[in-house]
Amino acid sequence: MQLGEGRRSPSLRGRLTQAVCAVLAAQAGVVGASAAAGVADPATTSGAGDDVPNWQFDAAGLVYGEAGRAKVVEPNARITRLFGNGARIGATLGLDLVTGASPTGGIASTEIHTTTSASGRVKTDAVGIVPTNQFQDHRASFDLEWTQPYTRWLTTSFGSHVSREKDYRSLGGTGKVSFAFMRGLLTLNLGGGYDSDEVEPTGGFRVPLSDGTVLEDGTVRAKHSKTALLGVSRVLSRRWLVGLDFTRMAEDGYLTEPYKVLSVVDPETGDPVGELTESRPSTRLRYDVLASSVYHFDTDILYASERFYWDDWGIVSTTTDLKYRHDLYDDRYIEPHIRFYAQSKADFFHYSLVQGEELPAFASADGRLGSLRTVSLGATYGFHLPDRPGEWAVRAEYMSQWGDGHPSDAIGNQQNVDLAPPVSIGSVVVAYSLRF
Amino acid sequence: MKSPRARHCRLLILLLPLTFLGGCATMDVQPWDRDLLAEEAMSFSPEPMITAIDNHIYFSKEGSTGGQEVGGGGCGCN
Repeated sequence: MQLGEGRRSPSLRGRLTQAVCAVLAAQAGVVGASAAAGVADPATTSGAGDDVPNWQFDAAGLVYGEAGRAKVVEPNARITRLFGNGARIGATLGLDLVTGASPTGGIASTEIHTTTSASGRVKTDAVGIVPTNQFQDHRASFDLEWTQPYTRWLTTSFGSHVSREKDYRSLGGTGKVSFAFMRGLLTLNLGGGYDSDEVEPTGGFRVPLSDGTVLEDGTVRAKHSKTALLGVSRVLSRRWLVGLDFTRMAEDGYLTEPYKVLSVVDPETGDPVGELTESRPSTRLRYDVLASSVYHFDTDILYASERFYWDDWGIVSTTTDLKYRHDLYDDRYIEPHIRFYAQSKADFFHYSLVQGEELPAFASADGRLGSLRTVSLGATYGFHLPDRPGEWAVRAEYMSQWGDGHPSDAIGNQQNVDLAPPVSIGSVVVAYSLRF
Repeated sequence: MKSPRARHCRLLILLLPLTFLGGCATMDVQPWDRDLLAEEAMSFSPEPMITAIDNHIYFSKEGSTGGQEVGGGGCGCN
């Protein structure tokens, strides 16, 4: 989160300074933060005299809330050592504090009903309300990253992370190699990552598609993720940078959501008569293609991206993301943001299971695996405080998310209820960055 | 509720490599013409910490993931 102090100056002097920096960087073969553009990061290049910063501190805090559901506070801080040759080593510490309610997976009813959960707790749900459970969790994470340019055409990046929450642990590493061609106008990125996670649900592992009263052996299960990335970015003109990235992720292990359930419903009325634990496959193969574009107008910048995703669970999604950075005055900018997301449902997604029918091998009523739409609207405001070092950014965003609330296979009274009512989500991020 | 834009997206994926090839035929961008490209805002993720937070939100609320990162979610939220 840097404003780039020189870029809002329309003067000839400013233009010449930037051009000289670019020439020096190209000759030195330095690849910095703008590696994707095939140009150097001016802040880390040699030739800028004694003003070259050695350190960068970044902090960002998130406050997030879903209407009637989860609330999250997430502070993050990162310190980065900057080296004159463009190398950098950074460490990030993050915390997540989560409270509130999460959907159980149970179906909304057309009448006030009382159910007994798998743990034996009795609940009463109102008409048309999606059942939820209260929860509380916290998560701490620590990341390390190291970027090292070797020549003008070769840069490597390595990273590792560890995180811990009440019922989940994650340990992973990443690596990426960037090759620059055509004097930095074309960059090829090859990367890979591996995560070794452990799931330790409170109360143990319940037998899939059961009433939850019987537990399976063991208290900890593994989940692994292997990711491969192939990307290319291209400078098309003095103003235009484009990129194309392909990612493949293979997951295996315990991929079931341990606390989610499905309602068992009456075959005539569609009203819930009980609940079963959910069951998901133990492997998942995900693919996505991301096309990105950054275009610089005279002063403003347009960011656009389109992601196409598919996996072997049957989910297909598209994501369109647009940001427009408009310079204001005195190194301030405003950046409106709009995002559209649409996904189809997983093959084993069901709002409910019908009493008396044969159980499928896999079933989940998790709304994140159902047909889904998300629209996000927001804006970022970047600014300097007078006579204070560093740069600030405040990002506020509103999200609305809804599913296919009236599916064609709705049973009885389910046809009179929105089974996936809209969820409103608001979030605010305050970020600060300082080089010294 | 099938994804209505899937067909268009596949077409976009097919056409984008052609854009790259077409770009090779454009006029070269010399180092002294890279003043705009040298700006930190001229990158795919100029605010990485905010981007990371946003991606965490989307990852925890939707069934998809991916992009320019090679790591997993690192959390049990999906």
